[in-house]
Amino acid sequence: MDAQLRRGVLDVLVLSTLQSEDSYGYKIIKDVKPVLDLSESTLYTILKRLIEEGMVESRSTEFEGRLRKYYHITSKGMKRLMNFNEEWKELMAIYSFINKEGRR
Amino acid sequence: MNKIEFLNQLRERLQGLPQEEANDRVVFYREIIDEMIADGKTEDEALAELGGVDKVVEDITSETSLTKLVVEKFRPRRELRIFEIVLLVLGFPLWFPLLILAGILVLISYLLIWMLVIICYVIEFSLAVASFGGLIGFFAYLFDGTANWIVLGEAILAAGLAIFFFFACKAATTMTLRLSKTILIKIKTAIMRKGRVQK
Repeated sequence: MDAQLRRGVLDVLVLSTLQSEDSYGYKIIKDVKPVLDLSESTLYTILKRLIEEGMVESRSTEFEGRLRKYYHITSKGMKRLMNFNEEWKELMAIYSFINKEGRR
Repeated sequence: MNKIEFLNQLRERLQGLPQEEANDRVVFYREIIDEMIADGKTEDEALAELGGVDKVVEDITSETSLTKLVVEKFRPRRELRIFEIVLLVLGFPLWFPLLILAGILVLISYLLIWMLVIICYVIEFSLAVASFGGLIGFFAYLFDGTANWIVLGEAILAAGLAIFFFFACKAATTMTLRLSKTILIKIKTAIMRKGRVQK
């Protein structure tokens, strides 16, 4: 996949794992694994970028005697997810157009 | 290797990153390892899944921008003394042109690699034009009987070479792109490995 496209899609993919409830690093990787093999270093970079962009907030809490950093999606992050759905519809329209042209 | 050794080695090898980020990354890996163990994996299995310190460092290096690494490398570790600042200011007419020169030299060497690719496309283009021109030249005189068969031969030869060069150009482009990527990661790794400049 093209690097630019991959980056954009990964951001949204990570955001979507936080949609229903806050999550933490290991769980995000496990959630995403069936769709895409995400390395720990990539996840770190994405989360950091999302935090800098104000789409995600983080807080460290103690869980069973160890530290666990939870990530929470902000309203800005939610908006990004919704925008993605809109963009995706446009992309899908282009996709089906390309395929239709190809069959002619 | 156990968890502590892994994390210590990782911290050691991330010296080229801003301190805060390096610490943050190590904390991130510690949490992941702890979670894996809580998930029922042994410490060895958890570390094996991460792929070893070398791989982790390589991943992090490739994800960090060259600018960040360079800035971190040359950032002074302490407040500059007065005479150092004076020296920097007075020396400006000397070190600034040298810096620009070094930058230009690097840029030119990189452009040279791309020049080869561009030359390839120029040859490809000239061959295509030559072949096209040759065909027109041949057929234009075909009906008054003065057509030159050698011109046709040359045109076909040029066409064949043009097709060959087309694939050669494509291969050269991909190779140069790949080479650029390799060079970039090599440079980043070198900066990362040496850590900060000791002052």
